[in-house]
Amino acid sequence: MSGEPGAAPALRGAALETELLSAGYAGRPVVQELSIRVSPGEVVSVVGPNGSGKSTLLKSLVGVVQVLSGKVIWDGAEVTNWTPDAAARAGVGYVPQVDDVFAPLTVRENLEMGGYLLPRRAVPERITHVLEVFPQLGRMLTRKAGRLSGGERKMLAMGRVLILEPRAFILDEPTANLAPALALSLLDEHVRQLSATGASVLIVEQRARAVLAISDRTYVLTGGRCQMEGTPAELTASPDFVDTFLGGRRRTGDPQE
Amino acid sequence: MSQSTLFYLANLLVYGGVDAIACLGLSMQFGISGVSNFGYIIFQAAGAYTAAILALPPDTANGGFQTYIGGLGLPFPIPWIGAAVVGGLVALPFTLLVGRRLTGQVAAIGLLVTAVMANLLINNFVPLFNGAAGLSVVPQPLHNVVNPQSQTYQWAYGLVAAGITIAIYFLFRRLTESPYGRSLRAMRDNSPVADALGKDLLSLRTSVLVLGGMAAGLSGGILVGFITLWSPGAWGYAETIVLFAAVIIGGTGNHKGAILGAVLVPLGFEEATRFIPAIGAPGLIPALQWVAIGLLIVTFLWFRPQGIIPEPRRRIFAKALAARGGGPVLRATAPSTSSPRISPSAAEPANQPGPILTTEALEVNFGGVQAVDGVSIQLERSRLTGLIGPNGAGKSTLLSALAGTATAASGKILYQGQDVTTEHTFLRARAGLVRTFQLASEFKRLTVVENLLAAVPDQRGDTFRGALRGRRFWGKEEGTAIERAAELMEQFGLIDYADTFAGNLSGGQRRLVEIMRALMAQPQLLLLDEPMAGIHPTLARKIGKSLQALCAEGMTILLVEHELAFMDEFCEPVIVMAEGRVLAEGTMAELRGQPEVVEAYLVG
Amino acid sequence: MSLFIASIGFGIVTASVLAIASVGFTVQFGVTDVLNLAYASVMIACAYIAYLVNQTGQSVWLAMVVAAIAGGVISLVINKYIYAPFQRRGTSPTAVVIVSLGVLLIIEFTIQAMEGAANVSYTMSQGATYTLGGLTLTGVQLVIIGLSLAFMVGLHLLLRYTRFGKAMRATAADRTLARNCGIRTDRVITLACLITGALCGVAGTVFAINSGSFGATSADLFLVLILAAVFLGGPGQPYGAMLGALVIGVATEVSAVFITSDYKYVSAFVILLVILAVRPRGIFNAGTIG
Repeated sequence: MSGEPGAAPALRGAALETELLSAGYAGRPVVQELSIRVSPGEVVSVVGPNGSGKSTLLKSLVGVVQVLSGKVIWDGAEVTNWTPDAAARAGVGYVPQVDDVFAPLTVRENLEMGGYLLPRRAVPERITHVLEVFPQLGRMLTRKAGRLSGGERKMLAMGRVLILEPRAFILDEPTANLAPALALSLLDEHVRQLSATGASVLIVEQRARAVLAISDRTYVLTGGRCQMEGTPAELTASPDFVDTFLGGRRRTGDPQE
Repeated sequence: MSQSTLFYLANLLVYGGVDAIACLGLSMQFGISGVSNFGYIIFQAAGAYTAAILALPPDTANGGFQTYIGGLGLPFPIPWIGAAVVGGLVALPFTLLVGRRLTGQVAAIGLLVTAVMANLLINNFVPLFNGAAGLSVVPQPLHNVVNPQSQTYQWAYGLVAAGITIAIYFLFRRLTESPYGRSLRAMRDNSPVADALGKDLLSLRTSVLVLGGMAAGLSGGILVGFITLWSPGAWGYAETIVLFAAVIIGGTGNHKGAILGAVLVPLGFEEATRFIPAIGAPGLIPALQWVAIGLLIVTFLWFRPQGIIPEPRRRIFAKALAARGGGPVLRATAPSTSSPRISPSAAEPANQPGPILTTEALEVNFGGVQAVDGVSIQLERSRLTGLIGPNGAGKSTLLSALAGTATAASGKILYQGQDVTTEHTFLRARAGLVRTFQLASEFKRLTVVENLLAAVPDQRGDTFRGALRGRRFWGKEEGTAIERAAELMEQFGLIDYADTFAGNLSGGQRRLVEIMRALMAQPQLLLLDEPMAGIHPTLARKIGKSLQALCAEGMTILLVEHELAFMDEFCEPVIVMAEGRVLAEGTMAELRGQPEVVEAYLVG
Repeated sequence: MSLFIASIGFGIVTASVLAIASVGFTVQFGVTDVLNLAYASVMIACAYIAYLVNQTGQSVWLAMVVAAIAGGVISLVINKYIYAPFQRRGTSPTAVVIVSLGVLLIIEFTIQAMEGAANVSYTMSQGATYTLGGLTLTGVQLVIIGLSLAFMVGLHLLLRYTRFGKAMRATAADRTLARNCGIRTDRVITLACLITGALCGVAGTVFAINSGSFGATSADLFLVLILAAVFLGGPGQPYGAMLGALVIGVATEVSAVFITSDYKYVSAFVILLVILAVRPRGIFNAGTIG
């Protein structure tokens, strides 16, 4: 495990919690009675099969999907059903799985929109900072975001959030659409980095094994409910978990290990 | 009752009949089939003009004070028949705008513009239409037999108009309540899905445009024969809005609503004005009348979008049960323990040699990305093949390309040995290649059993002619189909929802409807896009077993799914995709042995 | 030949009026997602308001400023209290178009009920005429062309170089993502309605000036020209609408010379229908403000 939770220099993050949260569409809950917590400096992942409510959970945290019952708590205060722009203003950065950039806007304009809340004069400096983290973006500042490759696009999406230096990151399957090698480097280099500054990181991933490697804790969702919770070590030790979420490798004998 | 009151009532009957016939035609197009024909009034104008020039003597005969073509002086009922025919013919060019591709608001705009343009032509093209002056002294039907000014004539005219209205109502109801009408309603609720189930959208839209056009044309003919005038000013596009208001207020999706709307809106408004004393400047009352129609449209769409008479819930299943003499009889035919006895349609595909489907270097663009990038696969008959891969690997796009809902940029798709790369979606569906969709795609305002029946191929009542021949022609076959549907609903645990609107079901139940509907289509090759998402694992396993049994009977299935446990248990072989390409193919055990695959997906 | 050149001149004037109207329409559509057919009626309402101001003895150009403000307010009210509630409820886009037709009837015939069916004209001078290589234009026509150019350049600067303009494009591209960036999209939509409504008001006034006289339903045909320009350039695309306005404006006036003026709009309609049938998303082919 790289980087212990408490090891970050100055804890500028804040805790994001839910209490018995149910959320969904048109009054029908997709996520049911979930209680989770992400502390500053911590990387917490959520895994589970398709349709288990992972994305819905994230969306309900930032006000994109309606919370039907229960609470969302940010930095100790209840913020249930706040608006997405209020979440951004409070320092919660959210990177959606799809529709994560403004396709008709240029890369620079996308970053500027990410920095919409900053004082006008601070924006160029912050963009420079983001380009230090994602140097590839520097070469394509005037290109339309819709014309980027999958990896570049995801970096832009993360950069767009990074520019505000949020106190919590919420990432919805950042490695979907990425080649395996790129996916691993994104998780290892960038996602882990985010927490090193003290921010709280909540990440949903389908690549269960890869995300376990960078997580401090993991929640396992099935059918909108929390099935298991624990450190990666605890989870990988559970046969149930391995069976369901790592492709049943143990059952057929694992040629890889 | 005084003479004048009696004359007035006869008048009402004629105008009411004309408006009701026009509204019935629009109800067929807009309420039943979802075609927002903002150019509808043109059909009525064309019919009226035709009736006028067929009835009028040659334009040289009246001293040349008005010019027009034709002037055949033909006797009743030829002008009326001509009006209906031309109303229908005028609809044909409109099908270019609402054909297969152009739908919704864009098509509506196109139709509106066409109507405005037609009105412009009519108002200005003197040689043909006599310009803005219009035509007058149109001979009335049978004017040389009965004096048109007599009360007898006026009442007879009114009764004929009412009679025709009733006849058209029953004709349209017959069509609407048939399997053909069900296809129209399915198209209205979700046209891409109807397409993927083998409905020919172009043909369906053409026939409702022509049918509605004929009704509108006839209504114009009846009107012009009564008032003896044809004035272009009467056919502005705003008149179309009045008819839309009538259908919306009366209630869409049923023809009683259309008649009620006709009585309330065009007729009611026209008549109400007569009783308002002439106050204010001239033209004030008509202007306020238009304002009121605008207000009615907005308030009705807000407070009662379904109209005064909402679309009825058709209790087909309950009726079928009643006809069979109660529930248990039908239910007894459905052994809920075994797999459904649905055999693929052409029955013997399993005997044919070679793979059922082959792709060669298939490439598909989706949203500016090369989503499928050179895929060559073969699907063996009677197999339940799995398709896995990370999100965005191109699985759904591949499925869409195979079914025809996405267009291949290059490469080939061979189905049953035939090149179907550029074949229309509905034709592939009719050849037994059926897909399901990842997103909810039920026909919302069809009941569950109607959703299932809509997928049954080659129904006798699913053609215009078959529908006209009535229930006696297709009822028996429908009964058999309902029994098949009952078996499926029993097996999927939805039999108690048979007569529920599919739009009112929960997410998981809607997924089940979708699978059942695809099975009702009796495909030879079934493409399932994440069918188990949101379905309880126990039920998912049960469905998996059914699918396996279907394959044993000769069906071929390609199934996209994320649940690897499901793949382990039911699918062989399994194809792995990543970044638009096929990474590997084999049994799950073999795939786990390939480091590349494990890295891309299993570990991922 | 000279007739042809003269028709080009008229075409450019018509195109200038059309450009102001079409760009307003298309940006409004991009940001609000409503194909607002009542736009034509708002144009006429503004032209009437300008007429009322003009009647008090004020210059028509001052009246135009009042019309612009009125256009902004009317557009905002219609969007906020009619269209947006329907959208929030999940009403289909086609049904919202029908709602906008209802609004069109309400506005146009309220004007007719108040002002009567007769056409009215502004009190104004046409200014001196200027001749430039066979092109003869009045001072007023030159002002209209100048105004239109100024609005196009202004809108370009707004959309490309200001924070608010970019936020407007971002909102049009993806409303949810814009909110995730902390953009208060409600405010952006409000401001966008005010701006596009102001364009609508100016367009209504210059349309009335250019037509000489106007009545409550005068802009109905012009709406079809707007739709032609908007769909030609791709709905939601301001630059596309500018180009579309130029093509449609010149095509109508030139065809008026070669066919007859009665059919001058027919060429525009034919262009529109061909585009709808062949390329319904327009030449620029995207649904967002690029």
